[in-house]
Amino acid sequence: MQKLTYTFPASKSINRPAHVGVVGSGDLEVLVEPSNNNEASFEVRTGITGFQETWKKVIERFMSQNDIAANITINDFGATPGVVSIRLAQAVEVSTNDATNN
Amino acid sequence: MTLLITDSLVESLARERAFKLLDKDSAYEILGPFDRFESPHLVAQHIVPQYDDGVIIVKGTLNGKPTVVISIEGNFQGGGIGEVSGAKIAGTLEKVLKECKDGQLIYPVIIYDTGGVRLQEANYGLLSIAEIGAAIVELRDYVPVVGIIPGKIGSFGGMSLTAGLCSALIMTREGRLGMNGPEVVEQEAGIRELDSRNKQLIWKMIGGAVRKNMGLADIVIEDDVPNYQSAILDIWNGEVELKNRTKQVNQFLSFFKSLELDQKITPDQAIEKFKNIEIVENEVVLAAQELVNSRGKKWFDALTNGKQSISEIPSVLVADTEVEGKLARVIAVVPNLENKFYRARNGEVGLLEGWAIAKYVREVIEEDKNLDEKRLIIPVVDVPSQAFGYHEELFGIYLSCSAALDAYATARIKGHPIVAAIVGNAISGAFLSHGMQANRLIALNDEGVNVHVMSKKSAAIITQRTIEELDEAAKGVPSMAYDIKSFEKLGALYQLIDGVNADEPNERDIEVLVTAIDSALQDIKTDDVRNLSYRLKTDIAISSGRVASIKIREMIGQQWK
Repeated sequence: MQKLTYTFPASKSINRPAHVGVVGSGDLEVLVEPSNNNEASFEVRTGITGFQETWKKVIERFMSQNDIAANITINDFGATPGVVSIRLAQAVEVSTNDATNN
Repeated sequence: MTLLITDSLVESLARERAFKLLDKDSAYEILGPFDRFESPHLVAQHIVPQYDDGVIIVKGTLNGKPTVVISIEGNFQGGGIGEVSGAKIAGTLEKVLKECKDGQLIYPVIIYDTGGVRLQEANYGLLSIAEIGAAIVELRDYVPVVGIIPGKIGSFGGMSLTAGLCSALIMTREGRLGMNGPEVVEQEAGIRELDSRNKQLIWKMIGGAVRKNMGLADIVIEDDVPNYQSAILDIWNGEVELKNRTKQVNQFLSFFKSLELDQKITPDQAIEKFKNIEIVENEVVLAAQELVNSRGKKWFDALTNGKQSISEIPSVLVADTEVEGKLARVIAVVPNLENKFYRARNGEVGLLEGWAIAKYVREVIEEDKNLDEKRLIIPVVDVPSQAFGYHEELFGIYLSCSAALDAYATARIKGHPIVAAIVGNAISGAFLSHGMQANRLIALNDEGVNVHVMSKKSAAIITQRTIEELDEAAKGVPSMAYDIKSFEKLGALYQLIDGVNADEPNERDIEVLVTAIDSALQDIKTDDVRNLSYRLKTDIAISSGRVASIKIREMIGQQWK
């Protein structure tokens, strides 16, 4: 298991926390929680070691598109970069949505 | 044109499953992912945890009735039950039980998608499943406990013992219900016994439709949310007859006594046999010609002063004896080399043994029903495992184990003190069936006394680690170790007895065990608690052994609305 952390400046706020995904084969769970300081902080735990550069690129790309001030925690069980991007996008959609739904 | 859009439970994650079943906007989650109550034991082994530990508890209403859905996430660690996930299930059921006792009926629904005990936490899973089983047995007297097995994994291992206890089971054709997973049966018994890659055969043996045809599941439905909801309502409304299978002891015992295993019985033949279960002739199982002097037998003889067993099944010894002047029933499972169930010849708990245990425990309950002072029951525990075999899975060994568990739990709830004496191996489903429902556990401190959930070889295959890696992990996580000193660290033992010759007990050794049993008996009487909560109250449990188990129960109470 490897722990990775990244921090980015961020400006947009989000409405509510969101949880998506599952720590299952080829998948991951993402928790997004609103943050008060203008920052996005990522904490990733992954079972697949040695891919910090890939993670960095995926997250940078996500931030360039979303720019949300949030604490984002990820538990990863071998998701591909594509799956990671989709789950992050899904989490943002839930957290910026107005309807309260699970 | 009609659009047919189904709302699948099989294809949904555990959380979605729970929310989908309940009335819209009625439901809230207890101990959800934002509480971040993950498994400390997975992290200690550098395995990525999940923030809900794979069990989702959602409270709300279904058709207006207060309902709790407990949903197991099969995608996370194969739905395996560890300390946190296990305590979430047990703690929720215990809370529901308390509410029911206080007059507030809450209807529990359990969605099974699990391989059973999580091997990385091993004995925590065992302790949790014993507590889950105990809670279901008690709860069933207040509300129907509904189990749902949608698939994809199905229900396996110790959790199937609890599925067997449910008031009614709903399955899809995709769901499977068995005890030992096909891969484990193949590993333990060989590919000629069962080829785990033969998926068609597996579903014909243990798939939902077959289980229904055998009379082991109650409702089979197509995978669509409204179908699950109406099936649950049918059960609640009394439109489905509750079969109480684990109580039909004589019927099942006669059935298994009459089975001939000269040739492999096909799944179709098994269904036919189940259809005629009520008309089987009661046959006699012949006594064994060659006796094996196992530890279990030696200690059974020691405790009963060599009394003749009254049991009709040679591999289950039963006798009434006096312990410190009081009548007690002693029960042991022992090898029978001539057992026609050839996978249960070395003292395993198999189809016959589970039902026989149930019979002789229930006999005590019946005989003592008008007495104020209920008879002490002493399971002598020396069980290498449950039986791993093709016929065992086909004919539902999980239910045989459920029946034994149910009988012990019922006896305890009715006031029978139960003190289990662990003198040898106490492994997995066998231990859950025979010993784990005791008010107090006593063990001999001896190298031959082991508590675990699976042989190292099988555990290595299933968790994709080497045996060396397993041994290394066990050093830091006592619940994974096999020895009794490690098990003691979980806080469940009443006493660990030193200095006794476990293989060849002499007079003094016997006296030491009898004294310990008597002391446990006095403790039970003083305490006057009939559930398994003692295991969470010992000093070891509080300080280190069951910290998460205790904390989770507290948090469930706090978040309950």
